[in-house]
Amino acid sequence: MFPAGDVGVVEGEMNIPSHGGQTGDSMEFNTLDEPIKETFLRDLRAVGNKFYHVLIPREKTSLLKEWDLWGPLLLCTFMATILQGSTEIADNSNDGGPEFAEVFVLVWIGAAVVTLNSKLLGGNISFFQSVCVLGYCLCPIAISLVVCRIILFTTQNSFLFFLRLVISMIGFAWATFAATKFLGDSQPEGKKGLAVFPICLFYFILSWLVVSHNNV
Amino acid sequence: MANVNTGELLNFQDYSPEHNGRSARIDVEAVHTNQYNNVMTNSNYTYEEPKTVVEEQEAVPQTNHNFWTIEYYQKYFDVQTSEVLERIVSSVLPQKVSRNYFDERIKGKPDLYGPIWISVTLIFTIAVSGNIANYLQNANKEVHWRYNYHLVSYAATAIFCYVWLVPLALWAALKWSVVPDGQDEIETQASASPTMISLFCLYGYSLSIYIPVAILWTIQVSWLQWLFVLMAALVSGAVLIFWLLPALKKSKYSLILIGSILGFHFLLASGFMLYFFHVPNTVDPTTVVTNTTVKV
Repeated sequence: MFPAGDVGVVEGEMNIPSHGGQTGDSMEFNTLDEPIKETFLRDLRAVGNKFYHVLIPREKTSLLKEWDLWGPLLLCTFMATILQGSTEIADNSNDGGPEFAEVFVLVWIGAAVVTLNSKLLGGNISFFQSVCVLGYCLCPIAISLVVCRIILFTTQNSFLFFLRLVISMIGFAWATFAATKFLGDSQPEGKKGLAVFPICLFYFILSWLVVSHNNV
Repeated sequence: MANVNTGELLNFQDYSPEHNGRSARIDVEAVHTNQYNNVMTNSNYTYEEPKTVVEEQEAVPQTNHNFWTIEYYQKYFDVQTSEVLERIVSSVLPQKVSRNYFDERIKGKPDLYGPIWISVTLIFTIAVSGNIANYLQNANKEVHWRYNYHLVSYAATAIFCYVWLVPLALWAALKWSVVPDGQDEIETQASASPTMISLFCLYGYSLSIYIPVAILWTIQVSWLQWLFVLMAALVSGAVLIFWLLPALKKSKYSLILIGSILGFHFLLASGFMLYFFHVPNTVDPTTVVTNTTVKV
């Protein structure tokens, strides 16, 4: 198939299977006759592993190489369920909080716009890779939402509001830091700031929703 | 077109005998892209080869891309972080940059990154600080106060209309009201009236001063709020006119145009302030809102 004299060619070829070596393992065994539980748990473990990598952003290959949208879907649905307001408490002065669909669409459209921005700036990363990373990096914000929700069960005063503000700002900083770590290198040197700013804005808006959520 | 084709052809023929091994390697990669399709696309990130391809594309800016591809729009996003910062500075403090900055830089290479993200930032800044202002207004009362999320959509409508419609109108006005002077008419038009994209760019950057001002509007002191309105509208309106003055001079309605640019700018600023931040001294804000909604 290849010219016999080209040793360099063979070396180039040898490189590429080693790239896919990690995934090769899971492809080999037959998944047709395994119990559903195992299949399910394996996928769940992969998603959990990615959450772990977002919370402790040390290596970036796992999120970028094998992207999936399960984690973002879970996080997004979870956040939208908790954040949604109800029309019962809406009166003349307010609208009772965002609808489920509004939060849901905000997360997905926001992630798509931020990704489109990095594509337009000339970043070399595929669309769904970036959406996957942005979705998984919602994890710290979702955790801060859970903590804020627990705080909301007690009687509110200004100290507790301040505490919620601090918690969600930590979530915001954490999410931005993780996303920057994963996506920062895909941009050319001079444009890194331009790519990071929309990410900051996206997470800031979501953190703002978390702070302002006070439907008890 | 014919020139480019021969150039490429020559280049390729020059290239392949020298680097025989390399061209063969590209073939191998093509084979592998087919075989390990998903592995390849996912490992794009750490892989060396696509990077050089991107750089080669950037080195040839004259290529005509289809209107519906991302590459077509990439030319409007081809800015560095320092350039964007410089343009923001130039929209507030024009004395910091050279006198013909607009003609040289912005007209030659208008970008849409700044206008789009400055508008989006302004929308959310106004929504967030509008809510904070509302909170401060109700802080002393016993009302159980909640956020109003839908301020975002009102702010978005207002700002996007302003950023797109006003430059469009201005562009049309400049295009059709140019007075032909002694020189060749076509040449004057081409050199004087700015393109539509560069007007969008200029207007988008001129909104940047409203972002800090929107945060300052949360201070609930009436005269201070009006002071900020006047200051912001005057500064960014004056800078707009400063950059557009050479083009405006060519128009026969230049005074009307200058007046309407300033007027619209002032209208936008006071509209923001009155709708999102201001509370009338005597009337309860909740009753005002109910009245307007009932009327609508």
